[in-house]
Amino acid sequence: MRFLPLVALLATSGVGSGVAVADEEEADTCLRNKIWSGYNDGWAVRTATTATLGAGEHRIYLVTLYAGNEYRIQACGDNSSNNLDVVLHDANGTEIMRDESVDREPLINFKPSNTDTYYIAVYAAVLASGQSKAGVATAVTYR
Amino acid sequence: MVRCMLIPLLLSAACGGESTETTSKPTDQPVATAAERGTTIKFDPATLRAEAVRIALVPSPAEMQKALSNAGLTSQLAQMVDVRDIKMTGNNKDQTAVRAGVVLADIVLTIKASDDVAQLTRLARLKQGFVALGADESVSRVIDDLSGRIRSGSGSKDDLVKEMDQLAGVMVPELKFTEGGEGLIPLIQAGSWLEGAYLVSGAIQAEGKFEEARNLLKQPAVVDYFLGYVKKEGKERAPDAVVDTLEKTLTTLKEIAAKDDLTEEDVNIIHSATGAVLKLL
Repeated sequence: MRFLPLVALLATSGVGSGVAVADEEEADTCLRNKIWSGYNDGWAVRTATTATLGAGEHRIYLVTLYAGNEYRIQACGDNSSNNLDVVLHDANGTEIMRDESVDREPLINFKPSNTDTYYIAVYAAVLASGQSKAGVATAVTYR
Repeated sequence: MVRCMLIPLLLSAACGGESTETTSKPTDQPVATAAERGTTIKFDPATLRAEAVRIALVPSPAEMQKALSNAGLTSQLAQMVDVRDIKMTGNNKDQTAVRAGVVLADIVLTIKASDDVAQLTRLARLKQGFVALGADESVSRVIDDLSGRIRSGSGSKDDLVKEMDQLAGVMVPELKFTEGGEGLIPLIQAGSWLEGAYLVSGAIQAEGKFEEARNLLKQPAVVDYFLGYVKKEGKERAPDAVVDTLEKTLTTLKEIAAKDDLTEEDVNIIHSATGAVLKLL
């Protein structure tokens, strides 16, 4: 039972009724729990970060991944998200793999054979009905 | 209106490479409708290059140790860390950032192996460095908490390892500074990465496994990232021996990283060039 000096509280407020409030803290808590439980299986965290995404919006991260290490790229969305996708590309931009699940906790495992840079795209494919923004937390862990 | 607040959450918790193995989460759900799945987006290389943020670009020293072990080298970087007291003196923030990065790497690597006095000394130096840089005070509180638990003997070494991972990999890349701060995070990361590269190249030398150098040391994007900040900072900063040497070292590493493969001579140059910066601290 330990603290995690993880980031993030993003408060958003919109004008008028029915404007969604993205909750990065909720997404962050979900991800934090996954990171901590991952340590029991030998995973350690490279980095974790949060963002607010509208429907169809994405964030792209450039990462260096070591040959021989196993990587887990995972994300958590808040209640405003219904389907998030994670897509991994090589340094040339060629898609290597993507999460195919339809939910707000995408995950992919990847073990590169060469040390190189890769692009990770996190995409808010579908938000919950009536929502315009979602809090999304993304982590890269390794073992 | 969007309002962002970076705050520490001192929470208790329960807690071209081709791929050799790739898996995604099992899809044991019913077949999703197009509406549930949404548009399957494709990203073109230009978009990836233009929009990519580099918050996760730099591997941590602990990750370097893991890569070293997975490559079959038996060296323990923790045992190779020099015993030294890197002070956070001087008014040059760029140099202080590099110093803080090296100390951070040493803490991450040795948190499990070194004695409490050594760790407390390093943590105190790290805190001094962050204070001198004008970093958000939340990071000082985290360091105080870690130091307090080392002093009291509470918490396991494994937990300290996790928490240092979080500090180095999650909190530092998103640090806020009271004034300026542009370029300080990359310089902190550069200090950590430099220490890791120095130790890893030393391990390769010691074990003679130069065939592993490419996968353990060739990281052109990382070098470019650091070099961009060092050069940008250089236009505005006063001459500084540490940062000037850092720029020379990174330039050398960039030349080596452009090669297809790394030789024994390249490893020797990497070790010497990274060591040249560390010797100045």
